[in-house]
Amino acid sequence: MPNLPQKKVGIVACSGEEMAEGTVTRLAALKVLEELRPDDTVTICLPLFLAGGEGDRAFARFYPTIAVDGCELRCAARATEQYSGKPAASVVVTDIVAGRGMGQPAGLRRLNEAGQQAVAETAVTIADLVDSLLDKKWSRREGHFIEAEEQQSKVAGCACGSGIPVQTVQINGAAVTLIALPPLLEQFKQMGKRPSPETTAELLEQVKIYNPVPAADETAYLQMLDHEYATLWGELEPTL
Amino acid sequence: MSPKVIIVPCSGIGKTYGTVSREAAYEVIEDLRPETAQLVALSMLVMGEENACAAVAANPAITIDGCKLACATKMVQESGGEVAQEFAVLDVYRRYRQFKPNGIAELNEGGLQLAHALAEEVSAVIDNLQGGEEDA
Repeated sequence: MPNLPQKKVGIVACSGEEMAEGTVTRLAALKVLEELRPDDTVTICLPLFLAGGEGDRAFARFYPTIAVDGCELRCAARATEQYSGKPAASVVVTDIVAGRGMGQPAGLRRLNEAGQQAVAETAVTIADLVDSLLDKKWSRREGHFIEAEEQQSKVAGCACGSGIPVQTVQINGAAVTLIALPPLLEQFKQMGKRPSPETTAELLEQVKIYNPVPAADETAYLQMLDHEYATLWGELEPTL
Repeated sequence: MSPKVIIVPCSGIGKTYGTVSREAAYEVIEDLRPETAQLVALSMLVMGEENACAAVAANPAITIDGCKLACATKMVQESGGEVAQEFAVLDVYRRYRQFKPNGIAELNEGGLQLAHALAEEVSAVIDNLQGGEEDA
């Protein structure tokens, strides 16, 4: 397997700067990321789904993601679903506060006591969801949980790393962004696999673990991989 | 009375500079220029929320970015707004190297001082945009 991030849960906080509940989302997410589940969680800034690149937009497809929102507008959940992938779970601070009969959070910069209590409760809720999500199999190719039946037929374990490496290639004249292609190519080279039809076919099988490859396009994918891998070995000039 | 100036800080939660950008924005809207500055949350712009987009479309905006990805600046522009002045916390830090920021959930003293210096700069820009209506 290539050097891809291990299975982790993504956390996307709305961070709504206009309201105290937004501050709660930010601090609760931070508490989970730094204290409660530091080895099992990653995060991304919400605006990067629009302002960032393809790797950023692949976030919620690559990681099962928990959206943490301050209010019923649910900007984090809706933006994640719209621009990246459907969140695996969703938390709304106002629901937690109301559901547990807690006081009203106040203070954008310095939360009051109720706000700090909301941070603690929200963080524990997120951490429980992280544990729950880690028990399930997540398909990075499809961007959703794998049903029990599917789990028996395919295992896509990954080693540790950070970030989501992507590469945009041309398939039948169209630009296609492929998750994990750079480390796959690099790893094959490090393994000493010379460019050959057999190596290209093997590469395609690895690419299919992380990306949907339409059966009708497999020949085009093989040609692309053949070219990219030969380029990596210095046997071809790179294409732009 | 001139229209309010919109302040859009970075919404990042993983880096100190993001926290500095927010702290500075809060200081401007709560302490330094509460009458002439208004904060708009980046998440609202990401979702194209009507009031947020209308606010940035109708008023000059000052963006404060925590990293080179410049999400705040990009989102204001994407939302049809005019960025009157963009600040990058790193650039501000280069001007105030004596204030070394640290911490994310809570800034250290250096971070708070850097945020204050940034807030003063933002306030000066607001005053210029408002035609010098308030004293710096």
